[in-house]
Amino acid sequence: MTHRIQGPTRRKFLGTAAAGAAFGALPALVRTASAADDFKIGLFIALSGPASLFGPTQRASAELAAEEVNKAGGILGRQVKLIPTDAGGPPAESTKSAIRLMLEEKVDLFIGSHDSATREALVATIKGKVPYIYTPTYEGGECAFNTYVIADTPEQQIRPSLTWMMKDKGAKSVYMIGDDYVWPRKCNEYAKKLISENGGKVVAEEYVPFGAPNKFEEIVTRIKSAKPDTVLITLVGADNVNFNRTFAGFGLDKDISRLSLLLEENTLLGVGAESSKNLYSSMSYYANAPGEANKKFKQAYFAKFGDKAPQLGLIGADCYGGVNCAKALVTKAGGTNAQKCMAASEGITFESAAGPWTMHGRHVDKTMYLADCKGTEFEILQTFANVKSGEVCKA
Amino acid sequence: MDPLIVTQAINVLYAVSTLAVLALGLAVIFGLLGVLNIAHGEFIMIGAYCAYITQANGWPYLAALPLTLVLCGMLGVAVEWVMIRPLYRRPFDTLVATWGLSLLLRKIAEAIFGLGFRSVNIPLPGTVEFLGIEYPLYRLFLIVLSFATVAGLVIWYGNSRTGNQIRAMVSNPELAQAQGISIRRLASGTFVTGTCLAGLGGVMVAPLVPVQPFMGLDYVLRTFFVLIVGGLGSVQGLLSGAAVIGGFDSVVSAATNATDGYFAVLVLSILFLWLKPRGIVARG
Repeated sequence: MTHRIQGPTRRKFLGTAAAGAAFGALPALVRTASAADDFKIGLFIALSGPASLFGPTQRASAELAAEEVNKAGGILGRQVKLIPTDAGGPPAESTKSAIRLMLEEKVDLFIGSHDSATREALVATIKGKVPYIYTPTYEGGECAFNTYVIADTPEQQIRPSLTWMMKDKGAKSVYMIGDDYVWPRKCNEYAKKLISENGGKVVAEEYVPFGAPNKFEEIVTRIKSAKPDTVLITLVGADNVNFNRTFAGFGLDKDISRLSLLLEENTLLGVGAESSKNLYSSMSYYANAPGEANKKFKQAYFAKFGDKAPQLGLIGADCYGGVNCAKALVTKAGGTNAQKCMAASEGITFESAAGPWTMHGRHVDKTMYLADCKGTEFEILQTFANVKSGEVCKA
Repeated sequence: MDPLIVTQAINVLYAVSTLAVLALGLAVIFGLLGVLNIAHGEFIMIGAYCAYITQANGWPYLAALPLTLVLCGMLGVAVEWVMIRPLYRRPFDTLVATWGLSLLLRKIAEAIFGLGFRSVNIPLPGTVEFLGIEYPLYRLFLIVLSFATVAGLVIWYGNSRTGNQIRAMVSNPELAQAQGISIRRLASGTFVTGTCLAGLGGVMVAPLVPVQPFMGLDYVLRTFFVLIVGGLGSVQGLLSGAAVIGGFDSVVSAATNATDGYFAVLVLSILFLWLKPRGIVARG
């Protein structure tokens, strides 16, 4: 999700060189390797860059779903073939891959688990020619033609959890800190409305440059002097770890609670047990979320990948739902015709890692969790059943 | 005085002192040998993983120091011998070679530890109260340790026989060789000192940051800025560079926000490259 200052130019150079080489040599091989009537899914996940931490889980979860779909007869009788493609670099690299997948591989469908900047670029490139399913958490508002979103929306992530923080925990004043890009800014925009509805106030709203080597001593000092009741965190990855460690290091964790909107298993391991007191997270999936569906999903996951299975978490497990959504969508539409898929999307039900989801307005209503960090484990504190996505896209 | 201002002032001191120590290894390798070591950040990363290994095995934190010295030392010897020695006085070539090294080290770390974040517990947890404020004990300790380390190196470099020999080598290698100084061994020793210092810097910051294979990238840019602004080859240069880059960033971040702080650092570095390319303290 982040790319560092040193990285892009070199990666770009290498990526271009490698792509060039692959372009010359591979197509013939690829064509013979896959049967003509396979149902090809371009799977955009993070294979490079710092977000590639999620890559193995994304890939494994999608593979598990594809295996299950294939055992049950595939999609419209065609075997699913995943083509994992890197979306961990700059958006422009992903769009190049999308064009290649559409022209060379003639993919039937795209699934994407990556940041919003890349999603916007991909939507503009794919132009609805192929159905595109977007899976992780996001800021809402994506209604592009032939695009289907199964991600957590602000209405789902923020409304129940922040309301709980304000009503049950009595938080009145909120300090906002996030990375400077579209997801944190839109989330905070949403949160601000909710906070004023509940009679609270926003003490400050602050952003740090996305992908820069950030440090947080100055910000934490400022928060200490502002004395908010809670901090709403929309930092991601290393910034999220760094901030929370600094926050606790300065002793603020005793009196000020924190609600983080992208805190999953990997990030919490980085934050560490000594810095996770009074820290909450809100998402639709945790590895130890309750319910039969998750139990079944985990059994299958660990049976397939064994002890070396990549760490489970929301970003990764979302791809499992993505593949199942593809099956439900294409089966009901009887193919990948854009108009038919758009019409078919309303009301389809499919299995996610967290349980069955039903699509409305090309988004998904789902059960949300509020988790309390106990050491480096999540303890589910509240379960909010059937939370509406708050997004309605025309069919 | 306002506790906010006192705390922010100590934050500035912390930023400057830790940046000076993190740049120290690069200052030795780049400043004295002229080798553009892009893998500097990866040696910091290795130090941080040594701290992690130490903790994962339940050893006392100080055990990370010898572990880092052995690992970064051995690696430094090998790298200097295989990669750097044929490339002395070809700065651009060393840049490309060490860039490759940085990729390799990152991938090795990824192969051993995976891409996941590791956290290292703070060896001196808690905060202390003074001047009406509360400040994390370990960060205070780092400020003191950083200044002590830099001061120690200054004294050693200025007064020891080896320090004299290095200065002779830097100013005129042929003449130094003619005087019976083994340039080859001295250069190798200087390089290894640099990699070890970077590793020790990693041990120091490990408890405060996410430990992962990519962490070195966070440091390499800032430490290069320090040397660009401060100038190569002198301790005064290192300290003034760290003071300008770390201090400016910290002060601006405290006064307005982190984006302005980062912006200020970039603008300053460009201005220095443009108007004062030899830095604040230019070597004669």
